[in-house]
Amino acid sequence: MPSPVLKYEPATSTLLAEVTKRSGQNLQACYQCRRCAAGCPVGEETGVTPDRLIRMIVVGDREEALNNLLVWKCVACYTCGTRCPNNIQTARITETLKQMAKKAHARPLTPRIADFHSAFMTSTRHLGRFNEIEALTIYETKTAIKELSQGKVKAVIDEMIGQARLALSMMRKKRLHIGVDRVKARSEVQALFEKAKGR
Amino acid sequence: MTQLAYYPGCSLHSSSELYDVQCKMVFKNLGIELKEIDDWNCCGATAASKTDEFLAVALPARNLGLATATGLSEIVIPCSSCYSRTLVSQKTLAADPGLKDSINAELSQKIKGDIKVSSILEVLVPRARSGELAAKAVKKLEGLKPACYYGCLLTRFPIDVNVPDDVENPQGMETVLKALGATPVDWGYKTDCCGASASVNDADQSQLLMSRIFTDAVGRGANCLVTTCPLCQFNVDAYQDAVGKKYGIEKRLPVYFITELIGMSMGFDPIEMQVDRHFVDAMGLLKELNLL
Repeated sequence: MPSPVLKYEPATSTLLAEVTKRSGQNLQACYQCRRCAAGCPVGEETGVTPDRLIRMIVVGDREEALNNLLVWKCVACYTCGTRCPNNIQTARITETLKQMAKKAHARPLTPRIADFHSAFMTSTRHLGRFNEIEALTIYETKTAIKELSQGKVKAVIDEMIGQARLALSMMRKKRLHIGVDRVKARSEVQALFEKAKGR
Repeated sequence: MTQLAYYPGCSLHSSSELYDVQCKMVFKNLGIELKEIDDWNCCGATAASKTDEFLAVALPARNLGLATATGLSEIVIPCSSCYSRTLVSQKTLAADPGLKDSINAELSQKIKGDIKVSSILEVLVPRARSGELAAKAVKKLEGLKPACYYGCLLTRFPIDVNVPDDVENPQGMETVLKALGATPVDWGYKTDCCGASASVNDADQSQLLMSRIFTDAVGRGANCLVTTCPLCQFNVDAYQDAVGKKYGIEKRLPVYFITELIGMSMGFDPIEMQVDRHFVDAMGLLKELNLL
């Protein structure tokens, strides 16, 4: 996949300062050696590797920086940051950009990934612990409604068959946990969620 | 009896309950009592760090407070994701007293002091080196050729952490398994990513990553995979058949937790250890190698 032509707006853009502050990463230290690109397990599919993402931010192309597949498909394996000679953790930059996209109410490029993490947090807030069945139900329902409204009937049916198969084999192998584990002091966990909202 | 604080995390209380059972059995035989911390919560895993910087630190912080309240000096966290998030939270709070005060204000058990956060390998490797594991073994794991699979989070962190193993080519699991008579294979994908939750929300991507892991493990002549991470274990076990069919990989490899192999060497009953709860049959190889 060819890299997009970037809009060069360093003088007017506040993007670099914002991402640097929020991610804690010194993006300007990047000298484009591309060791991160060589190690990125999803780079081939995203078309954008960590070095390109950093460049987008440095030149101030907000549009490209918030709307590329690496931001969403990054698996947070930390390979790029571990190998970076300048200690830049791009996984923290993709995390930052996801959070910025969420704050700006931008539509995520890959709704499934965004909705999964949101369902995970909803379940954790509710019970204090991650409940596989609850979180997956929230996620699959949301995904199905969204995709059906876009006419993606086959994708929804495939997903349902896939998940039903997995659930059955989990049941056969006694890996499906039916009981509900919950934290007694849930209010304490929920207070942390409230505090996060106010920040 | 040594006592260690213990954080099982959500996986070990649900789909990977077998790992919880095995940890307790193996540690007990090593003279270690695991004291599960009271009323722990989810660490937030990758979901928190991807959605909210504050919660990514605050959720594990509550558990650190509970762990400190046990009065013990070390906590062992077998799940790689929980281990990573908890250690990162601890280091972040140490560097940011303001954030620590803000989180402590919400907690009944405050974070104070510096309890040592250990992965399961940090507890097991010194005991392999000292000969303690071999001394407890009643069977040698002869014929077992594991590809030790570390995944991402045991050796790579989003902040500077002193990693007690080689980051690109770790040897902790190999050290443990060699001490028990197994012959681990050398391979190139031991610290590669399985995709974690991408197996659910970005399936094609995750399956591509797993296909590379299986291809290399099979090509290097491994007869099983071994891991310490419940998320890696679930992915490379539950999706192996689908990935194999999609990418033309014929051989299937059982995916053991390191604890079930140590348990087998200790002579434990595989059913009691729930070795029959794998997606790719894990009993057959043990039988074939006369390890049952």
